[in-house]
Amino acid sequence: MKWATRAGVHVDRAACAWLIRRFVDPGAEFIFLDDLTAVPAGATPFDMRGAALGHRRDRCSFETALASFDLTADPALEEIGRIVHEADLADERYDAPAAAGLDILIRGLTLTSGSDDETLAVTGRLFDGLYEHTRRQLITGRPPA
Amino acid sequence: MSQPEDWVLLAYRLPRLPSAPRSAVWRKLKRLGVAQLGDGLAALPADARTREHLEWIAEEVTEHGGEAAVWLGRPLDPAARSAIMSRMTAAVVAEYDAVAAEATAARDADEATRRRVLARLRRELHRIAGRDFFPPPQRDAARAAVEDLATPRPAGVRA
Repeated sequence: MKWATRAGVHVDRAACAWLIRRFVDPGAEFIFLDDLTAVPAGATPFDMRGAALGHRRDRCSFETALASFDLTADPALEEIGRIVHEADLADERYDAPAAAGLDILIRGLTLTSGSDDETLAVTGRLFDGLYEHTRRQLITGRPPA
Repeated sequence: MSQPEDWVLLAYRLPRLPSAPRSAVWRKLKRLGVAQLGDGLAALPADARTREHLEWIAEEVTEHGGEAAVWLGRPLDPAARSAIMSRMTAAVVAEYDAVAAEATAARDADEATRRRVLARLRRELHRIAGRDFFPPPQRDAARAAVEDLATPRPAGVRA
């Protein structure tokens, strides 16, 4: 399937892309747009104004996507949702100390990446690691060593 | 893409009632440190982050039955530009000064109090930094006053 989002991906779009590829559509193909009206037919837009997979009320697009893809039963994904929320919105709704670091790392990555696909290749690995860390921490109740 | 001197502007109109969405939008704009150029017109120096934040607030305004549009613009009058910048800077200077005063007041408190105040003021500085677009010298002064709380005091000696 084709998925479309705004070019110059940052934390919320990177997290959504990871979620889509890992839990929804392993063969996902991403299109990055400068012109928000140019979503091609058949592509599902995300983290764009007017898209169903966008900010809703006080939730970031990743949190909207979790609910929309019916993935809220996974507590590790819910926790990542809180981290992405704080990295994206910084409204202090959640206690998520990892958010500040994640925000800086992904901003730095976008400064040095040649393309959005290149950024997503790295952020995909980053979110794989964050997911595994969060999952283990939830099982043992302690941060994994 | 935006030029370095560009500003991103949010022009919005929300029904007076209910008042909750109005205050939610107002709080978000305040946290971002916008320059309020008029009733329903807010501006920030343009970059990817500020554009995105204002776009999502525009979306929220629309969701609540209001009208909103995000613009890129450049003031033609340099005096208007510096007046806006001074107003924004004065707002963060007041915040930095308040932090510095609190840090100074806690200087001679006991170790536990200093640690508590230190943690709180570091968070506060982080918040202010998010809306500080033209860092004034007061930022460094506030940081120094806060970080001074992290220096252990020799027992029995008052600094």
